[in-house]
Amino acid sequence: MKVIFSLLMLISFVFANDATIEVIKKADTVPSIAVEDASISYDDTFRLRFFKTLIADLNVLSIFNVDRHHRIANYNDVDVLVENKDMAYVLRYKMFEDDNAALNVQVKLLQKNEEVYSKNYRVSKQDIFMFISHAIAYDINEFMGEPSVAWMKRKVIFSRIIAPMKSEIVIADYTLSYQHTILKGGFNIFPKWANKAQNAFYYTVLDTSKPTLKYVDIKSGKVKNIISSDGMMVCSDVSSDGKTLLLTMALDGQPDIYSFNTVTKKYKRLTQYSGIDVNAQFMSKNQIVFISSRLGYPNVFSKRLDTNEVEQMVYYGRSNSACSAHGNYIVYKARESSNAFSQNTFNLHLISTKTDFIRRLTAIGVNEFPRFSKDGDAIIFIKNYKGQSAIGIIRLNYNKNYLFPLKYGRVQSMDW
Amino acid sequence: MKSIVLSSVVTALLVFSGCSSKEPAVDSKTEEVSAPAAQEVQAPATETVSTEDSVVSSSTETTAEMTMAEIESKLPTVYFAFDKYNITPEMQAKIDEAAELGKTDAAKSFNVKLEGNCDEWGSDEYNFALGLKRADAVKKALVADGIDASRISMVSYGESNPVCTDHTRECWSKNRRVNFKLLP
Repeated sequence: MKVIFSLLMLISFVFANDATIEVIKKADTVPSIAVEDASISYDDTFRLRFFKTLIADLNVLSIFNVDRHHRIANYNDVDVLVENKDMAYVLRYKMFEDDNAALNVQVKLLQKNEEVYSKNYRVSKQDIFMFISHAIAYDINEFMGEPSVAWMKRKVIFSRIIAPMKSEIVIADYTLSYQHTILKGGFNIFPKWANKAQNAFYYTVLDTSKPTLKYVDIKSGKVKNIISSDGMMVCSDVSSDGKTLLLTMALDGQPDIYSFNTVTKKYKRLTQYSGIDVNAQFMSKNQIVFISSRLGYPNVFSKRLDTNEVEQMVYYGRSNSACSAHGNYIVYKARESSNAFSQNTFNLHLISTKTDFIRRLTAIGVNEFPRFSKDGDAIIFIKNYKGQSAIGIIRLNYNKNYLFPLKYGRVQSMDW
Repeated sequence: MKSIVLSSVVTALLVFSGCSSKEPAVDSKTEEVSAPAAQEVQAPATETVSTEDSVVSSSTETTAEMTMAEIESKLPTVYFAFDKYNITPEMQAKIDEAAELGKTDAAKSFNVKLEGNCDEWGSDEYNFALGLKRADAVKKALVADGIDASRISMVSYGESNPVCTDHTRECWSKNRRVNFKLLP
């Protein structure tokens, strides 16, 4: 093990910016931070809930050693609590309810008893408090001058199966602690954000005569039919300008990958293989990665759209049935055990088209639905282990995984 | 009748994107948006193929009196091995019987929808494609048995239509299947 680590250390100096190489330095060198609660409204249960959410968000930043003690302070006290006097930073906040029953939070960051940063937040409803917590963490990260964690403010859209052939589409925050069901009734699956602004999405309807792709404008509530196919229809990826979709369709009973121009409404077949081709993802405008059964089992391949050249991307894992791409990086789900039904079945791995390294991102359980954040800084995924489900966040540059317990329902598909 | 309720949560979720550093964050509203034109799927009417008054006394064929539901109940479920979509000899025999039934006068007027399903292992697009390949394999076998391809449509439900939800091998094997659904 030591040898591997030293080897990785050595290599990390050579390829300093390669995310497939684990970062193992700066583990203990991050500054400490404590959080002081100076709330004047709300009961203890809610105060503790908010505190826990904020601690979790600060942890996910990965730039602090976060103290987990819930301590009560006065907001206007100049000095930090005596227990926190050795902390590099103290974040003090005050929650209070105003006349409109809105939740207000005042925040200040103290460094050596000096206020170095402050900001106020307000939401109309108490039950969406987690968005304030995410915003505080985002702002503190900006203040510290670290690379952006804008993905903390992005929404996750997912479908869950509630009964056979019955599903819901839900919009959530990145920890899935806030969940709003946006589409109820029917059999609607594979939701996919239609644009960067996340104000529209695509999804597949299965209880029509043919599987049909639909488009929903969230603000107006308008639903449009996009395209139908016998057998199967999935929107696997949307180009960064929102104009091109990568679809899996089966116009002749054969699941293949198609591109679809949302302006001209024309589609073009990109793969022609008698087995299975699915899950296409843009790497660049002219290159996609996808999952194919060309070798007799699912594996990751890439295809150049200009030259039609197909290349096998992964030489590890017995069954690599899902992937997500960002630039040169591909995260994929691999079944490692030769016994399909043993424990420890599916793990996530990261590869780069520029190097030959494989970085294992998870160690235990069934890990699925990996999705890169828009900036490639983080990966979201679902972990199932010992009957428990959790949503996971992988911070690639910090070599850290964070898990948030997932309430109920089996996730069918997810987009970030 | 299924209705879709759409309501907007974006406003609430987008609130923080525009916070300026000293001012209180903008208030958020969760706004109810009117439901879109209700999306509905017509329930397929069950049609009686043959009634007494249309049958001459010579009719002794039981199939002539079978309704769509009765025919459907006689159609098999085709099972598959893990991660496979090839048809075993045992299942081929069942498909042959189904094809014979499909050619009878009673069943001739119906179309069939083949529904491909998978077990819970691999809840991805790949699983849906696997379900589809299973349906497609059954379709090809039916066509080889003389059923007109235009009578057959297909859909894959991936792992989202299980008949058994226990986490056992027996249960998973029951879910790796293709169902026959008759359409008028």
